[in-house]
Amino acid sequence: MRGTAGERAFIWATASALGLLALFFVGLVVSMLAYVDGRTLLRALLSEEVLFAIRLSLVTATLATILSLAVAIPAAYAISKGRFPGKGIVDSLLDLPIVISPIALGTALLIFFSTPVGGLIDARVLKVVFAKPGIVLAQFTVVSALATRLLKSTFDDIDPRYERVARTLGCSKLEVFFKVTLPLARNGLIAAFVLTWARAVGEFGATVTLAGATTMRTETLPIAIYLSLASADVGKAVAVTLILIAMAVSALIAVRRVTGRIYRI
Amino acid sequence: MKGVNLSLNSGEYFVVLGPSGAGKTVLLECIAGLHRIKGGEIWIDGRDVTGLPPEQRQVGYVPQDYVLFPFLNVFENIAFGLRRRGHPESEIERRVKALAHLTGISHLLHRDPRSLSGGEKQRVALARALAPFPRVLLLDEPLSSLDLKTAKYLRMELRRIHEELKITTIHVTHNQPEAEEMADRIAILNGGSLEQVGTPEEIFFYPKNERVLEFIDAPNILECRACRDIGQGLKEVDCNGMTLIVPHDGGRVSRIAVFPRDVYISLSDPPGPRVNRFRGTVTDIEPWGGIVRLKVDVEGNRLMSEVPFDIFKAMDLRVGKEVSLILKLRGIRVYEGESDRNRGEVKAQL
Repeated sequence: MRGTAGERAFIWATASALGLLALFFVGLVVSMLAYVDGRTLLRALLSEEVLFAIRLSLVTATLATILSLAVAIPAAYAISKGRFPGKGIVDSLLDLPIVISPIALGTALLIFFSTPVGGLIDARVLKVVFAKPGIVLAQFTVVSALATRLLKSTFDDIDPRYERVARTLGCSKLEVFFKVTLPLARNGLIAAFVLTWARAVGEFGATVTLAGATTMRTETLPIAIYLSLASADVGKAVAVTLILIAMAVSALIAVRRVTGRIYRI
Repeated sequence: MKGVNLSLNSGEYFVVLGPSGAGKTVLLECIAGLHRIKGGEIWIDGRDVTGLPPEQRQVGYVPQDYVLFPFLNVFENIAFGLRRRGHPESEIERRVKALAHLTGISHLLHRDPRSLSGGEKQRVALARALAPFPRVLLLDEPLSSLDLKTAKYLRMELRRIHEELKITTIHVTHNQPEAEEMADRIAILNGGSLEQVGTPEEIFFYPKNERVLEFIDAPNILECRACRDIGQGLKEVDCNGMTLIVPHDGGRVSRIAVFPRDVYISLSDPPGPRVNRFRGTVTDIEPWGGIVRLKVDVEGNRLMSEVPFDIFKAMDLRVGKEVSLILKLRGIRVYEGESDRNRGEVKAQL
């Protein structure tokens, strides 16, 4: 059945907006590919600096993601299933790190390490400022709230009756969490891991503020782009940008496959 | 829940019957320990379990829609409770297989529970609840999400399994025929409080109040005095001046019940055998959804009849009009027992 002229115009308008947006992003990637020739790209990709940046990004993002999930899993469970005063406020506060500019978070971290307590930690416990641990801390600060938010919605979706039945079958609350809740949340956990990791890989603002942008020391992939542009090495900037895009696309495909399985029952 | 005081006999199949929102699920959850109670006590097998968490109550629970664990196959679903309680592997295997055999799901043990039909899921949920040797089995609307045919078959299956295991069972439902067919005793729950507790026959023939009567589809209940066997599995009974033929092979009939839908009304005397026919006067007319409920006075007895609205219109019935009534023979249910036994609370309400 064909719609009215108004309906057709509406469908055309929405589809056109979508088409334009897709064209815009495809155009950006194509323009980058057109800007540099293959040999320059390959040389940049295989340069010691870029390989260092890839390694550093993989290691720090993975560490930050593991740390984030270690905190986010219990925190998200508490906020999803728990009943406590001020729950609404805590829930809203969780959104803050997601909406605040990462550079502001980085500044807050830097200020903290300038205080006597922070300074002591930096000097005696772990060197954070302008050092590799700073990268992990900066990424953790930016992505932990995102991980909590993603996992909260996963736990929200779990029918509490599964947990209730498990209680009658002999599980304590702790056993229910490990034997029922986590297995039910498996796909959500994988999706949260991948998305959090992808966000950590792309983190720039807080990292550059806390850990600095030092070549071959605190040079993650986004910082490598920044340093390449600063030294007018466009070939390298494009190469690293393409690596980041490839990582992000792979992560999204992985999430799509996992979550697709969740809902295809 | 208020003032709910229930005591179950060991090995009894007890059905809690009530409309939705009556508090049936909450009652089960209180017994299972999933719902904290503000006051009162719960005892199971002579042990006060009021303060115990669910995992220490030894209660088997089959929730509505069964909620089988989707990340475990059927075998592991049934074995779940046994594993949590640390039974040895060989015993788990033996127990799971025995329960699968009992519930008729031996061929499904390696299946993903999401691929099962409603009836199969119900059996798996039942086996899962029974596996860790519970002291009491709680069934929350176990047949309500099944199609009518499967549900009717599973009624018999549930009773058979109960007969074999003799486990004290509480089954909650809103379905009155289901309750009557399955229960040793029924409790009628309404608005969080108990209206009546008794055998299905007691509830049906001696409803304690109007709410219970309404809930069991408001049958006309008549007390019978004389009863004479006329052969062919029929008895002639005298109920307050009305002589009726009822289908009954047993002993003396003390009460009969007939649903309003089985009391036919016509303006003139229709042709056919003159059995269970009476003349009466319409005393009350009450619209009831798509039907009309008529109260008709027959020799001092007030009988209720249900007539579809369009037929009611066509018959032009009014209060005071004289009509013919036929009580459908096959619709008459009889209660054998002493009509004058001491039922103070029942008689007072009636």
